[in-house]
Amino acid sequence: MKKRLTIINRILEVILWIFSIVTIYPMLMVVLTSFKSKGEASYLNISLPTEWHFENYVTVIEKDFIQSLGNSVFITFISVALIVALSAFMSFIIARRDTKGCRITYKIITLGIIAPFTALPTIQLLQKLGLYGSRIGLCFVYAALYMPFTTMMLSGFIKGIPRELDEAAVMDGAIGGELFVKVVLPLLKPVLATTGVLNFMWVWNELQIPMYLLNSSSKWTLPLSVYNFYGQFSRSWNLVCADVVLVSLPVIIVYIFAQKWVIAGMTAGAVKG
Amino acid sequence: MNRKKIYPLYLAVIPAIVFIIFFIVPSTVGYYYAFTNWSAARTDSLKFVGLDNIKSVITSSKVPVAFVNTLIYAGVKTVMVTLLGFVFAYILNRDIKSRTALRTVYFIPSIFSCLVVGLIFSAVFQTRHGTLNNILNAFGIANVQWLGSRWTAVFAICVAEVWRNVGYAIIITLAGMQSVSSDYIEAGKLDGASEWQLFKNITLPLIMPTVNVNILFSLIYGLKMFDLIYVMTGGGPGNATESFGTLMMNEMSAGRYAQSVAVNLVFTVLLVIVSMVYQKFSSRWETVE
Repeated sequence: MKKRLTIINRILEVILWIFSIVTIYPMLMVVLTSFKSKGEASYLNISLPTEWHFENYVTVIEKDFIQSLGNSVFITFISVALIVALSAFMSFIIARRDTKGCRITYKIITLGIIAPFTALPTIQLLQKLGLYGSRIGLCFVYAALYMPFTTMMLSGFIKGIPRELDEAAVMDGAIGGELFVKVVLPLLKPVLATTGVLNFMWVWNELQIPMYLLNSSSKWTLPLSVYNFYGQFSRSWNLVCADVVLVSLPVIIVYIFAQKWVIAGMTAGAVKG
Repeated sequence: MNRKKIYPLYLAVIPAIVFIIFFIVPSTVGYYYAFTNWSAARTDSLKFVGLDNIKSVITSSKVPVAFVNTLIYAGVKTVMVTLLGFVFAYILNRDIKSRTALRTVYFIPSIFSCLVVGLIFSAVFQTRHGTLNNILNAFGIANVQWLGSRWTAVFAICVAEVWRNVGYAIIITLAGMQSVSSDYIEAGKLDGASEWQLFKNITLPLIMPTVNVNILFSLIYGLKMFDLIYVMTGGGPGNATESFGTLMMNEMSAGRYAQSVAVNLVFTVLLVIVSMVYQKFSSRWETVE
């Protein structure tokens, strides 16, 4: 019985590895194509390059790559900081104050997960505020759009922190912001890391919103510049693939180092609801 | 000391202001533009035109096509991803040696942006020397113009979307399955339950809340799909593969601003209805269980 089970498991394991070709093949194709000459790259297969053209990467980097990288880093950093900080205060008050008004506010905020991005009205609004086309305006739009998910996760977590901890600190005279910083914030660290990493991935990868809100190419983020690069060089798959590899590297690096939090965040998001 | 003093509202004022200005205002007052004659050619002294734009976008072929496509993208993605996630997670939850490696391999596509996945699959589905056609040629099948006609292009987009999201579903479902206490399974085994019975009567009901939330998120993000389609087909050929997301963008690019906002409004209504219906059904389903 036990032996039969082991054999079944072995067979299933082999099947899973065979299936994984579907996942691996396209990725391998992109990486190999990024080192080929233009002519060779037009055959989109996984043969090894006859000559390794490392200069493809130099060509891509020279096309405004550094500038877009700078924009992406700036926008992502400010946005994630805003999202996490604003959501943390919001969740603290919503979860702890727990009045009827707070519960209604929470409902409205979670509607923000469902509602789509209203592109043109947002553009009009930013124009009236004098923020249209600016990186900081984009950061605030991100802050408002991604706040609902983070607030949902944080307030779920805060509700799990026993209120008795607060009461002890209140006895010592800590209320409001002081109470938050001294008692709740230290306990929030793991979930702040998780939501921070998740928001980083979302903001970094976003294409649609910067496409609407950034009008000058000097402010483009990496995905936006890659998209336009593809528009110009769609026949040079070697360069496009090099660009794809470069734009994916930061996320892969973050994933490798923050794997624990990425997975914890994704599962917590689904489990907590 | 009372709760209102301990947790003063002013701490939430700045987050609330940011949320109201940058989300609530455009998502409510902003829809006013759907009822005007706003366009690239007419940007000031707008006139109120009532429901004209809503009527015109619904009766033109564009919204019905985008409506059907959007439901297909979200539906196919959700069904396929959930089913595959279940199967793979169930296998990975068994005693398999290379579990961690397999899990990582399947998960990696989930960290790529839709843009990157869109570019990868533009290469895969390219007609001349595209990866898939290369493989088909080896079996003697002639080149297929994958992105050249409606249903093959919709199929290609769905494949790309499923490819990107399967790993995520596996991780979630697997986490759910691993959280099921082995005591229950052991107890079931003692009662002589078969493997299928154990799965159906113990594992499935226990992980259903997790799966439900996951399905809801998958539906919402599937309905909101933009990047992949925009990169792979741009909504074309014609408007054949358009989703609501790309339709909004293409209407704006064509200078039909008010129509774009009208599409946006129809889309919001659809999203709210879908998520309400789903939540109603899933909660009823859970209570039945």
